[in-house]
Amino acid sequence: MKQSVYGLVLFILLALPPVAGLMESLMIAHMHMQMPLLVASGFLMAKYGQIRFPRFWERWNDNGVPGILLFAIIAVYWMLPRAMDEALAFPGMEAFKFVSLSLLCGMPLRDSWPKIGYAAKSAVIIGFTLLFAGMGLLYVIAPVQLCNNYVLLEQIALGWGFLTTAFCMVIFIIYHLFTRHSAYE
Amino acid sequence: MNKLLGAQPKDAALSRTYLFVAFAALLLGGIMGLLQATERAGLFEMPSWFTYYQALTTHGIVLVVVLTAFFTIGYFYAALSHTLGGLLPKVRKMAWIGFALKIIGFVFVVIPVVMNKATVMYTFYPPMKASPYFYIGLVFIVLGVWMCAFGAFVQVATWRKNNRGQHLPILSFFATGVFVLLFFGSLGVTVEVLTLIPWAFGWTKTVNVMVSRTLFWSFGHTLVNIWYLTAVSAWYVVVPKVIGGRRFSDVLTRFVIIALVITNIPGGFHHQIIDPGMSQSLKFMHVFMSLVIGIPSMMTAYAMFSVFERRGRELGGKGLLGWFKKMPWGDVRFLAPFIAMVAFIPGGAGGIVQTTNQLNQVVHNTLWVVGHFHLTVGTSVILTFFGISYWLIPFVSKRVLTPRINKLGVIQTIFWTIGMLIMTVSMHISGLLGAPRRTSYTTYGDHAVAASWDPYTILVVIGAAFLLVGGALQLYAAYYLMFRAPKGHTEFPLAEAEENASATPYWTERWGRTIIVMLLLVAMAYVAPLVNFIANAPPGSPPFVTW
Repeated sequence: MKQSVYGLVLFILLALPPVAGLMESLMIAHMHMQMPLLVASGFLMAKYGQIRFPRFWERWNDNGVPGILLFAIIAVYWMLPRAMDEALAFPGMEAFKFVSLSLLCGMPLRDSWPKIGYAAKSAVIIGFTLLFAGMGLLYVIAPVQLCNNYVLLEQIALGWGFLTTAFCMVIFIIYHLFTRHSAYE
Repeated sequence: MNKLLGAQPKDAALSRTYLFVAFAALLLGGIMGLLQATERAGLFEMPSWFTYYQALTTHGIVLVVVLTAFFTIGYFYAALSHTLGGLLPKVRKMAWIGFALKIIGFVFVVIPVVMNKATVMYTFYPPMKASPYFYIGLVFIVLGVWMCAFGAFVQVATWRKNNRGQHLPILSFFATGVFVLLFFGSLGVTVEVLTLIPWAFGWTKTVNVMVSRTLFWSFGHTLVNIWYLTAVSAWYVVVPKVIGGRRFSDVLTRFVIIALVITNIPGGFHHQIIDPGMSQSLKFMHVFMSLVIGIPSMMTAYAMFSVFERRGRELGGKGLLGWFKKMPWGDVRFLAPFIAMVAFIPGGAGGIVQTTNQLNQVVHNTLWVVGHFHLTVGTSVILTFFGISYWLIPFVSKRVLTPRINKLGVIQTIFWTIGMLIMTVSMHISGLLGAPRRTSYTTYGDHAVAASWDPYTILVVIGAAFLLVGGALQLYAAYYLMFRAPKGHTEFPLAEAEENASATPYWTERWGRTIIVMLLLVAMAYVAPLVNFIANAPPGSPPFVTW
């Protein structure tokens, strides 16, 4: 339960106007810091939902697939340059960003991850790795501004952020493929 | 087995050699320190064949790199050997190869410094250009450190295979964290040095100064925290045993190590907080990333004083602070690390000052900064290392700590503390008054402001004299314990976990994941400034020899 409180505190902290303003002033911090932290806040808060409404999760997300699909759709949506622009231009979209990334992305991720099988987990990790690499190349190579609110250089920095994240995920995949965990644990 | 027989002879010889080099470095670095302080105060003029800046460069390299690196590796290899059932022959070989590579590297580094061809301070900021052989020496040093890091990884992985599902003994867990940081933390500086070598040879014309500085500090700050983590390992594991108590929560200890490993490298940018070329908001973000390190530090402070209080009350200490009197103040193995911990309170507070953009503008490049790292490294870290040496050297030399040397250690600790207190306070104050660091004696045309620093620079010399006495006593103690003390068995003091401790979750052992999270955080911290420095790069700087 403590975790849920920490999640809520993190969510409130991220929603404070000076904090949100600071993070959104840099494209890379907006997408690679604020958004993952919102997902993390939902991930932590999920414990409360799981304890308080067990039937709801059981009925709705019995095998974990609906939850992981919802997580993937919301996460991919917020990678669109246009979505970032809208969050900065319209307060309604900004509110939707906070609610969707925490409640519709972080929470279902927590509930689904232990329920889905090895193949689905691998698909999610490999899928997002490829997506990050693709997005990275797009942001690095694109010769024009993709977001109205951020200059080209910010976009390139974000692209490298995506590429380095994809690189870390590749290391993670290699580590998993080539390390026999059963030999150690 | 190890508990009964003491150190394994071949492993002990390895650690002993590393410790010997560390203390030889203390002797050389200490003399350089006193020479600088006297020149800086205007009491003595360094000869033209060995200038103030050469002494400063030697002091930095010998103490900041040699003393700390050799002590850390010697200490943790002794810990790996003791807690994991002896070093594997190939691991021992790797550590010896690492030793040889580092020594070769230091020879390459020191010769240009002595020849006045690499008077670039230990930070070797371009566009100041050293002899290319200086940078080649640095490559050898890094290779030597990597060899030791990989040796430690092989040792730990083998132990885990043979002890499936068990938690790594806590001191080896600390060692793993330190070697992970040593390897990943030095990647940035390696890239930097590999760009500086062709530039120093004249094969490339210019260098991107901002990128070099950033790569340097991604390592420089990590190195600082490696020393800190090494000292902290003794605080958590050894000091409780010395006072007869038990360790603080195992879960918290492992969490602190993981948190320090993950959050360390991104903290480096605050060393450049008033550098140009970065937006204010990005700097603000980096302030947060740097200050995160404060969280595990606060946990450590709480944990340590909790252990002291619990033990003091067990020994009959009453009232709010009665437990304090029950501590073994006459035991140098406790006294030295205790003073080190206390010094970290103002040291850490000073660090927060320097991490903050506005406050840094007041103290940047002043003697304040020098005072700060003499308090953190020179006191918190080094006094802990001294405290460790009073049981580690006898342990690896199969000798015992005599009451006479213990007493000498207490006196030495007092000398060191008084010296550092006088020196660091004076440095902090004169820094606030504007005295610059890394500057030899000058009156600035008899300017009144410069004259106001004089009393403090004299106090720095007095402090340095105390330190020299303390250092000499420490060297004598190290020599005596290594070669002259009575033969016998010395225990490797490892405190037991607390009674009725909650089980430590197994995720703490998954170093692969910890490293991935660390790399992600490093990417978050460094991608934006590096892209900025490269995409908006200035024309680049040709080399300068300013001395």
